[in-house]
Amino acid sequence: MDANGATTSSAAGGGSSSKSSAKKNSRKPKYSRFTQQELPACKPVLTPGLVIATFTIIGIVFIPLGLVSLSASEHVVEIVDRYDDSCVPPNYSNDKLKFIQAADTNKSCVRILPVPKLMKKPIYIYYQLDNYYQNHRRYVKSRSDKQLRSKSGEKDISDCTPEDKTKDGPIVPCGLVAWSLFNDTYGFSLDSKMIKVNKHNIAWKSDKDHKFGDDVYPKNFQTGGLIGGAKLNSSLPLSEQEDLMVWMRTAALPTFRKLYGKIEEDLPANKKIQVVIQNNYNTYSFGGKKKLVLSTTSWMGGKNDFLGIAYIIVGGLCLFLAVFFILLYVIKPRPLGDPSYLSWNKSPSGQPN
Amino acid sequence: MDSKTPLENLYNIEPALSSSSRRNNLSANSKSLGGNSIREVNFSDLGPKPVKYGSRGAESEIYSMSQREINDEDARLIQINDPVKTNERFEFAGNSIRTAKYSILTFVPRNLFEQFHRVAYIYFLVIAVLNQLPQLAVFGRFASILPLAFVLLVTAVKDAYEDYRRHRADKIENNRLASVLVNHEFQQKKWKDIQVGEIIKIHANETIPCDMVLLSTCDPTGVAYVQTINLDGESNLKTRYAKQETLLKIPEKESVSGLIKCEKPNRNIYGFQANMEVDGKRVSLGPSNIILRGCELKNTTWAVGVVVYAGRETKAMLNNSGAPSKRSRLETHMNLEIIFLSVFLTALCTVVSVCAAVWLRRHRDELDYLPFYRRKDFSEEEEENYNYYGWGLEIVFTFLMSVIVFQIMIPISLYISMELVRVGQAYFMIRDTQMYDEPSNSRFQCRALNINEDLGQIKYIFSDKTGTLTENKMEFQCASIGGVDYNGGKVSSQDQKDGYFVQVDGKVLRPKMVVKTDPELLQFARSGKETKEGSHIHDFFLALAACNTIVPLIVDTPDPTLKLIDYQGESPDEQALVYAAAAYGFMLIERTSGHIVIDIQGERQRFNVLGLHEFDSDRKRMSVILGLPNKSVKVFVKGADTTMFSVIDRSLNTSIIRATEAHLHSYSSIGLRTLVIGMRELSTSEFEEWHSAFEVASTALMGRARLLRKVANSIERNICILGASGIEDKLQQGVPEAIESLRTAGIKVWVLTGDKQETAISIGYSSKLLTNKMTQIIVNNNSKESCRKSLEDAIIMSKKLTTMSGTTNDTGRTLGASLTPVALIIDGTSLVYILDCELEEMLFELACNCSVVLCCRVAPLQKAGIVALVKKRTSDMTLAIGDGANDVSMIQMADVGVGISGQEGRQAVMASDFAMGQFRFLVTLLLVHGHWNYQRMGYMILYNFYRNAVFVLVLFWYVLFTCFTLSTAINEWSSVLYSVIYTSVPTIVVGILDKDLNRQTLLKYPRLYGAGHREECYNKRLFWITMIDTVWQSAVVFFIPLLAYWGSTIDASSIGDLWTLAVVILVNLHLAMDVNRWNWLTHATIWGSIIATFICVIIIDAIPSLVGYWAIFEIAQTGLFWLCLLAIIITALIPRFVVKVLYQFYTPCDVQIAREAEKFQARSESGAVEVEMNLILDHPRQ
Repeated sequence: MDANGATTSSAAGGGSSSKSSAKKNSRKPKYSRFTQQELPACKPVLTPGLVIATFTIIGIVFIPLGLVSLSASEHVVEIVDRYDDSCVPPNYSNDKLKFIQAADTNKSCVRILPVPKLMKKPIYIYYQLDNYYQNHRRYVKSRSDKQLRSKSGEKDISDCTPEDKTKDGPIVPCGLVAWSLFNDTYGFSLDSKMIKVNKHNIAWKSDKDHKFGDDVYPKNFQTGGLIGGAKLNSSLPLSEQEDLMVWMRTAALPTFRKLYGKIEEDLPANKKIQVVIQNNYNTYSFGGKKKLVLSTTSWMGGKNDFLGIAYIIVGGLCLFLAVFFILLYVIKPRPLGDPSYLSWNKSPSGQPN
Repeated sequence: MDSKTPLENLYNIEPALSSSSRRNNLSANSKSLGGNSIREVNFSDLGPKPVKYGSRGAESEIYSMSQREINDEDARLIQINDPVKTNERFEFAGNSIRTAKYSILTFVPRNLFEQFHRVAYIYFLVIAVLNQLPQLAVFGRFASILPLAFVLLVTAVKDAYEDYRRHRADKIENNRLASVLVNHEFQQKKWKDIQVGEIIKIHANETIPCDMVLLSTCDPTGVAYVQTINLDGESNLKTRYAKQETLLKIPEKESVSGLIKCEKPNRNIYGFQANMEVDGKRVSLGPSNIILRGCELKNTTWAVGVVVYAGRETKAMLNNSGAPSKRSRLETHMNLEIIFLSVFLTALCTVVSVCAAVWLRRHRDELDYLPFYRRKDFSEEEEENYNYYGWGLEIVFTFLMSVIVFQIMIPISLYISMELVRVGQAYFMIRDTQMYDEPSNSRFQCRALNINEDLGQIKYIFSDKTGTLTENKMEFQCASIGGVDYNGGKVSSQDQKDGYFVQVDGKVLRPKMVVKTDPELLQFARSGKETKEGSHIHDFFLALAACNTIVPLIVDTPDPTLKLIDYQGESPDEQALVYAAAAYGFMLIERTSGHIVIDIQGERQRFNVLGLHEFDSDRKRMSVILGLPNKSVKVFVKGADTTMFSVIDRSLNTSIIRATEAHLHSYSSIGLRTLVIGMRELSTSEFEEWHSAFEVASTALMGRARLLRKVANSIERNICILGASGIEDKLQQGVPEAIESLRTAGIKVWVLTGDKQETAISIGYSSKLLTNKMTQIIVNNNSKESCRKSLEDAIIMSKKLTTMSGTTNDTGRTLGASLTPVALIIDGTSLVYILDCELEEMLFELACNCSVVLCCRVAPLQKAGIVALVKKRTSDMTLAIGDGANDVSMIQMADVGVGISGQEGRQAVMASDFAMGQFRFLVTLLLVHGHWNYQRMGYMILYNFYRNAVFVLVLFWYVLFTCFTLSTAINEWSSVLYSVIYTSVPTIVVGILDKDLNRQTLLKYPRLYGAGHREECYNKRLFWITMIDTVWQSAVVFFIPLLAYWGSTIDASSIGDLWTLAVVILVNLHLAMDVNRWNWLTHATIWGSIIATFICVIIIDAIPSLVGYWAIFEIAQTGLFWLCLLAIIITALIPRFVVKVLYQFYTPCDVQIAREAEKFQARSESGAVEVEMNLILDHPRQ
């Protein structure tokens, strides 16, 4: 009766060994290709042909891809204007913080941006922040997605400290992310004619439809002791506050752009655009930079040469490797599966006996 | 050899158990100590033999049990037939057994408790607990315990299933029925209700439900035969006895009462000590009076006994321990790397916390108002710091948080994966049809589940001989009778094929086994005892038929006119001799306690067994005193040559003695096991004298064993030699080929045997262990000094022989490039002086120079000593293989223990890690499965390190861009599922199924096994290369998206999804690149994992309450995402691919070449290449 505790198949005999011995059934394992580990299988071996072909194919695919991306990137016209320094009046230049925090200073600022090339519509308007850690742990956690979604989640503010509630009740939308909503505004004109900025559909459709509820209205927002940024129109539900949605999609990296709006007309080359900026947002306290970006777009997104260059480099490297391996195989071939390369055939002294 | 060698002291087993503990004790002694030519003749347990003399004959078997009292504290008191009283004071265990570990209620706590014995799980738990602290909550509550919960659940389900099977088996077992005496009537009762003290009646072929002391049996002398196959695997019958005092009591009629005082339950199945008070008399009980749970009653109509141990206290259950746990070499190495990874983890965490500290210090003035930090909370009346505990504590928290985030750097999942992989590997090993043994109907058994991969690195094999290399099926080969050698093997006529038979009442009675006979001898045997040769031969075969403890069983066959005689005995040698005698017309028909019936050439003769002296390891012989039909009394003796020649009367038949000695020498030199048989006629006075002495001795209370031995010695003298027998222990099928393969594979095969030197050497030759090319060095000394000297000489000689190359050796032969292999033959006596002293070192040095080591006449503990000698001094893996109880110590000592489930019981199997039916399966086990398992496991460990490290590093790089605050772009669910779903299955499947080479190639080129010796699949270098590769790959995964999306509108969730998918696809493709063999399962799991990851990411991003809602859909619409993915995967894998190609092409390992050959030669089907390959392969072996 040892069998019960034994872990192996002998346990099968179990308590009824008399039965099993009576049956005399053979315990021979059934043959199947699976149990004998002989499933039909493909055995890839890195033959020279395969290696060279792999590298060549990678090279052939990558270099055109790189060129295409590079040209796509080249075709993007981009205007970048850093204005955080320039938009502070000279008399405040030593104490920018005071300027930005003072309620009574005139924050508007006019910038003239030359258009280097014809910019085809749609032209996207971004604001770019540098050195702004929207991915900081304290920051990303300080929000309540439940509250944003529906009215019933209004009280769900446990993660939102320190911007969770005021004396009048919970803040909607609560948390640091919403609190620090960007509040610079831009007005564009070309040849003294206002350019219409379309601020619709700048957020993800999914955010509008599902993530931000249409029954959730801002409450007690920016009424605390410290104003972090933009105020919200409390008569509009969150599902229509697209600037907030864009802002709440916290950026992955400390240098990021956020969509401000779209210009739905072409901007001719060599013209100058006049931008009136309301410079409200405080990045001076931590040395963050603010930039205004106007950019056309391509299938690749914005202007970024990196990927194109990377593709060309990798593709080139692969082609080089292909050539290298061709040469290698020509100069110093080794027949595959040649038994004379086996260790015991190479060194007669190496035998164990 | 002197029977009082120090070896005996090494083997320190209480003599008390000897009589029925052949496996345990005597056989071990006889095998290891016997200094005579009957090496390994296992006629040791002649079993307690009831002799007509004295009703107490049956007691003789307890002769050696000292009569010492059992202490009352150590005793267990059993009132016979009074279970109530028996149990009222002591709560003896009932007979219900529970092999199951858990019940429904206790399962959860107990299983958890057991699981948390692993350090790895504690680590997991600590991390999960840390994460619950609000300051450190990196992951959500649920997400943080998920991995641990998953792992625990998987293990728990596995345990629960196993336990369920045990529950079921227990239930069946507990509900079997037995007849129990209740109110003077035997009633059917379930096994589980049986109590200690009850009287039970067992019928023939029933299984015994608990350990019982026999009271009476159907046999008037109280004999019962039991088969202990379930207990120790021995299929032959063993005799057990009821005491005379209780024999005649019929429990149904009179109430039997008495008190049994026995020892506390213990696990020695060959020992039992008790005494019984019945009718005011006190009798002692020994191991032969007890029948054990699990045995079957055979050949006995009924037996009645009283329960002494029940349920979990039975010896069978106490012996029911699991396999020993060993730790694999790979795992030990791996633990070093794990330590390194922990250091690395600590370093990462330190970097993060130091950077965080610096950042906090530099920005300390801004923290209050920083929009993304906001230390101050203005919402309350007074301003206070929110979630900030001071600079120092913040750093500590950062450190702890980074440990939580980077926790999978220590691949906890690896342990579970390894376990699953080993289960899978074991499944395939068990199901391998090439390791199934048809004759014994036994599959390969994996008893230890944690050393599969060690099988791929074995460097030393220590093998037992009898039953391991040989079949342990003895076959009578030849005899020297009266100085004439009859070695048979000539023409086998039709007559011989059928063998000898007798006809009784028109029924044919035939021995079950047919023995090859010598026609000339057969002729003589039939001619009667008129001639001198005839009478010699008559006596010789009479001795063979009578001087044994074999029990003949008549077995029915489908043919009603034919019956077979099956000789049941505990010694295969005796069986062979009795079958041989039967074949020559001396057929043992019946054996009862007082007489035997032998059919001599068709004439039934009855012999009274007047006395029997059992085998013991001092005398190394046994004798039986027979009363012949013609009223004369003769003593027949058989035994090992050395002890026999000392009792043979040399003055008689000098020429016969001399001729017999010569024959014995030639028998043993062809590897036969020899026995010498002698006889003496006793005069009446001599008989009377012996008789009284025997009776006194066998009834003595003190020192019975000594007295009996003395009596035996007095009668076993002046023996007239009859002849000698030669029994062949056949080599198992395929042993020479197996040994050759193993040696070609670079494994050193050491044979450790109890045989004498000549036999060992001859077996060595026939098993191709020794070849004519070899120089033999024989160490065979009797003192420490001479050992030292011969070892020194031997070392010098072996060095000379092995270092010489391209020159000529002493014999003047030109050796060319090859060296003279040296074989070391050393005997047990020398080992006594060598082991455990400074000479060990020399022996080891010598043995290392030798390609073959043969140790003869070694005791079981010496076997273990030799294994330890090698194990201590090298880091090489050792494997011990054996089949008998005498191999247990060696099997447990070696890194890998293999048991042969053969003739000699199951003890070796119970102690082993793996068990199989035949020695030759070792080749498949090591060269094929061992190689595969090692390669798979080695790769799997490295891959798991890489897989987890790559992910952790990606997280780490990101931390550098988040003010060191340990926020992760990768969704917390994805980080949790990464090692659970995204990447876990392929590595397990590949770990179970991948094959670098197929079976045929591995068997054809045994040297491919060297990959394991050279640690080609897992070593420090590979680890570091993998780690460098890991850093590169993680950098590529992280920085390509970083640079591509720098200064764009990308949000954390989207880029996190990109990173998740990139890492998962990358690690799966990395695995795909290294897979050697793609079958549908591999395809399914690798591609399936990638698809599953996409699905999971999509599901996670479809939950609106998570931050990353819909991110994957948004980002997947952009071309940039796909371009990044492609660039990452290709760029990350290029270095590895290039290195792999260069390595495979310019420094190909043997496995690589063989793989190429496997692929291309099969395709080209060119015989020429095949021939060439063989030539080249054969070349070094010449």
